[in-house]
Amino acid sequence: MSQYYTATDHFVLVPAIMLALFGCAILLFDFWVFPEPKQRKWLLAFLALGEAFAGYGLWQQHTYIAGQGIAELTAFQGSLVVDGFSLFFNWMFIAAASIVALMSYRYLEVEGEHHGEYYSLILLAQCGMYFLASGADLITLFVGLELMALCFYIMVGFLRSDKRSNEAAMKYLLLGGFSSGFLAYGFSLLYGLSGSTKLSEIGVAIARRDPADPVLLLAMVTTTVGLLFKISAVPFHMWAPDAYEGAPTTVTAYLSVGSKAASIAFLLRIFLGPLASARAAWEPLLVFAAIASLTVGNLAAISQHNIKRLLAYSSISHAGYMLLGLVAGNETGIKGVAVYVLVYTFTNLGVFLVIVALRREGLVGDNIDDLAGLMHKSPGYALLMLICLLSLAGIPPTAGFIGKYYIFLSLIQAGRYVLAAAAALYVAVAIYYYFRIVRSMFMSDAEDAGAMETTFGVRVAAALTGLGTLGIGIFPEPFLRFAGQSLIR
Amino acid sequence: MPESYVELYFPVFLQVLIAMAVAGGMIGGSYLLGRKVKNRIKDTPYECGITPTGSARGRFSVKFYLVAMLFILFDIEAVFLYPWAVVYRELKLFAFVEMFIFIVLILCGFFYIWKKGALDWSQQERPPEER
Amino acid sequence: MNLLTLVLFLPLAGFLAALLVPRDRPGLVRGFVLVVSLAVFVLSIGLALPQAPAAQGYWFETNAPWIQSPAIRFHTGLDGLSLWLVLLSTLLTPIGILISWNHIDRRVKEFYAFLLLLEFGLVGVFVALDLFLFYVFWEVSLVPMYFLIGIWGHQRRIYAAVKFFLFTMTGSVLMLAAMLYIYGVTGTFDYPTLLTMLASGRWHVESGEQMLLFLAFFVAFAIKVPLFPLHTWLPDAHVEAPTAGSVMLASVMLKMGTYGLVRFCLPLFPNSARHAAGWIVTLAIIGIIYGALVAMVQPNMKKLVAYSSVSHLGFVVLGVFSFTQAGLDGAVYQMLNHGISTGALFMLVGYLYERRHSLEIADYGGVATPAPWLSTVFLITTLASIGLPTLNNFVGEFLVLQGSAQVNFRWTVFAAIGVILSAVYMLWLYQRVFFGEAGEPVRHHVYDLSRREWAAILPLLVLMVWMGTLTQTFLPAISASNARTLERSNVNVEFQVKARTPLVAGQAGQAEARPAKEPPDAR
Repeated sequence: MSQYYTATDHFVLVPAIMLALFGCAILLFDFWVFPEPKQRKWLLAFLALGEAFAGYGLWQQHTYIAGQGIAELTAFQGSLVVDGFSLFFNWMFIAAASIVALMSYRYLEVEGEHHGEYYSLILLAQCGMYFLASGADLITLFVGLELMALCFYIMVGFLRSDKRSNEAAMKYLLLGGFSSGFLAYGFSLLYGLSGSTKLSEIGVAIARRDPADPVLLLAMVTTTVGLLFKISAVPFHMWAPDAYEGAPTTVTAYLSVGSKAASIAFLLRIFLGPLASARAAWEPLLVFAAIASLTVGNLAAISQHNIKRLLAYSSISHAGYMLLGLVAGNETGIKGVAVYVLVYTFTNLGVFLVIVALRREGLVGDNIDDLAGLMHKSPGYALLMLICLLSLAGIPPTAGFIGKYYIFLSLIQAGRYVLAAAAALYVAVAIYYYFRIVRSMFMSDAEDAGAMETTFGVRVAAALTGLGTLGIGIFPEPFLRFAGQSLIR
Repeated sequence: MPESYVELYFPVFLQVLIAMAVAGGMIGGSYLLGRKVKNRIKDTPYECGITPTGSARGRFSVKFYLVAMLFILFDIEAVFLYPWAVVYRELKLFAFVEMFIFIVLILCGFFYIWKKGALDWSQQERPPEER
Repeated sequence: MNLLTLVLFLPLAGFLAALLVPRDRPGLVRGFVLVVSLAVFVLSIGLALPQAPAAQGYWFETNAPWIQSPAIRFHTGLDGLSLWLVLLSTLLTPIGILISWNHIDRRVKEFYAFLLLLEFGLVGVFVALDLFLFYVFWEVSLVPMYFLIGIWGHQRRIYAAVKFFLFTMTGSVLMLAAMLYIYGVTGTFDYPTLLTMLASGRWHVESGEQMLLFLAFFVAFAIKVPLFPLHTWLPDAHVEAPTAGSVMLASVMLKMGTYGLVRFCLPLFPNSARHAAGWIVTLAIIGIIYGALVAMVQPNMKKLVAYSSVSHLGFVVLGVFSFTQAGLDGAVYQMLNHGISTGALFMLVGYLYERRHSLEIADYGGVATPAPWLSTVFLITTLASIGLPTLNNFVGEFLVLQGSAQVNFRWTVFAAIGVILSAVYMLWLYQRVFFGEAGEPVRHHVYDLSRREWAAILPLLVLMVWMGTLTQTFLPAISASNARTLERSNVNVEFQVKARTPLVAGQAGQAEARPAKEPPDAR
């Protein structure tokens, strides 16, 4: 330990170190220690160990912050910060990554592309997410974003012999790179305006400037564009349907919850931090993006036959709801976004898990008709899917309702009645297309009677997502309190 | 101390102007003064006077690209050693540990590609599934 | 944990337990859910035993925190309005199970489990005293009904189920938005607290704002009732639903709408409710006459009964928006009546369908010969439905007409036309189905009531007579809570209802000349 790397620095960095360490270890052990295909389950165990160590580090941060009664703990001269916000999101990432890893094992076996690198990529992507949630410096955030995105580029194209997967990876890479370019441009302008890469110092510098300053506007618009790309909000959503459809389903699941949650965390850090004083300028942009996302996402989802594509459009509309919470801007709204992301994580993982569980030799399982008669074949998964779809649609007593409820409440408290009414009405549209899936599961007869083959890991993941979705809906109090602590400032 | 941006950047501006004038002047001059002959031989690629043979679109083994990419990767990582060397005296042990970790990480990647066979020239017929 | 929460949660526990029963033991599931639902019913009778008068509070109140911020409480309780509706739900669930006994042969376990879940949602709707909790139960009751129609329905079941769900959901999200607005202004979802705040003037609502809130609630309830232009989902849902689904839908689910009108629209938005009353009553009367006329020409028995529901529920809305004690009493009484007589009608139509496998009236005729008891029961139900004195509907319709006559005699005249029309279509239906020459299929397939079918219909027949003669069993509790509702709907009213909305354009001037309505008379 020295003045450049203090005990605090280490304390803050432990989870990320663990994630990176185990990520690299899996990469090497894959051919050194466990070269046989059958031994890959040890890699899964290693991933679990890595998550456990990262979780332990996080837990220590958690108890330290709570015990000391401090709001935040900064490290590396203020470029990393541990606060309620970062803890909230990082716990969520641990849950998401673990569930995704659990459901991946059998899926990759069936796809015939089971390689140890996959687990390493999950951990390294999560490492990137860690920096997105706890970064307080433009460079840290940007590096975290790229670390996460690079892992995702590879994972999206993980099915090397599948053309759709390759196409998806290429599209995602090009558009992702494009958006990173925008973001980097915006960041360089922000640096130019303030002379610092620290979010807090940028905030001070921006607050002193005239809000109508054209350079500031340019910096803000380019940053916003880059961020909207990452959360797949309209009009920067074009990559999402293709990437979601082509990627291996487990990766789609990870992409839709992990990457989205991390990007939302990133977006909140930027908009509620340095750009908070320029609210008047970015608010109309976000209102437009939110309403456009709701419209395009919900309407385009209606005509989809591929579930993954349908969920891609639905995830676009959910990005719209999350943005609305930010637009409302009050405490309820920000808390609402946090709750919404948490709920969305469990719910969407549950939906994708059912699709993953459906996959077997000779059945892709991503067409709505593939779900026909699921009720009869395996009622447990049908029930899980039903609960999760009800939650996505926002029907009580599932968790999704709590999320939607907070967003609506915040809009009403902020006096934005038209937005609240529009958001509420889109729920009815969403129900229509979610219930197409329900209809297929419960009201059509199965085309083939083949039972589902599941493994222990998939069942554990199913139980976790189901419990999360129902538990948050019925006993929201502890989760709400947790989300309440996550408010920035 | 120069007072404004104009003053500060005037030499640069002048430099750009002169460069453009020289380049333009040379091309323009040769265009005006030179003799122009047009025939088929003149249109062929210039290869030191020897008649070109074969197609210009030859195919290379993908290994060349792989090696080129790997070279760039490790080369760029090596670049980080220069600033490290500069501040080494100031940072002392911390810099040493830091660079040690950095190199271990690079070595991880190096072992990985080595074991994956990316550096293996000889085995041409590796089935893609074999590890 | 008092009796009410027990009645509320026992069906949920039964639902979960029923899901655990092995799939290949349908008999076990049936027996189990029947026992559970009967137990719930027996317990719920305890709710109706004489209670100390609840002046401001509610019987069997439970008030526990559920979510701290925003303040959402698990607040449930009973009053005279909800008491009988809860009993109606708990009575009809075992009956619904009985009539499905042999009728449902696919996915038996899920069917009965969903019936119990539906009961949980319905009871919850009627006992919730927290706006948010009310909304939660409102949605919970929606889902099982969607499946009951969509899985076990007839040919066009999916269309009907989706239409049903979308209609109701569209209304209810607007209601949710209004609830959140109210929370934003007052900081509470608690219904009694809101009433106190309204009475003391702590929650002051501008009239325009109140009208919007009123409309958001009203549309959600009107879709559910269903009120005339919003009724189109109802015939589809009824025709496609399995018998038990139709019975639960007609008897209890439609009451969620009218219950909401009485419970929330009147006391929470008194001004707007009174301002809009003219228009709403007009729609209700159009519904009464339109429903009756359409019912008359239906070739399909279930559709006929479905349209008769539109007509009957018009009476309920008319009674509610007459703002008189008699009208409200009649409306609430009519809710129960409709639940019993229309439920019975749907059951009997279901019995016929089980025998002849057709809902077309033209396929029947002469059923009285092979099935005399079935015909007798159908006749009693028909007579109850058209409002014969000594049977239940008479009391409700009489009170509604009396109440509306106190306000505007022309309403009474038009509504009475609906009563006459109901006699026409019901008796005509009876004649076409039961009299005449019995055709070969009818003689061959139709048999008389089985013991199980008797067991299902008998309680309803008893209730028809009981409610038609011994009204004092039911009315005092209803009147007391209605009196409170009326009292509250006078709170904060700048009482100048300027012009009654004219019913007929030509009489506009005359209508405007009517003086402002006097406050409701003493009971």
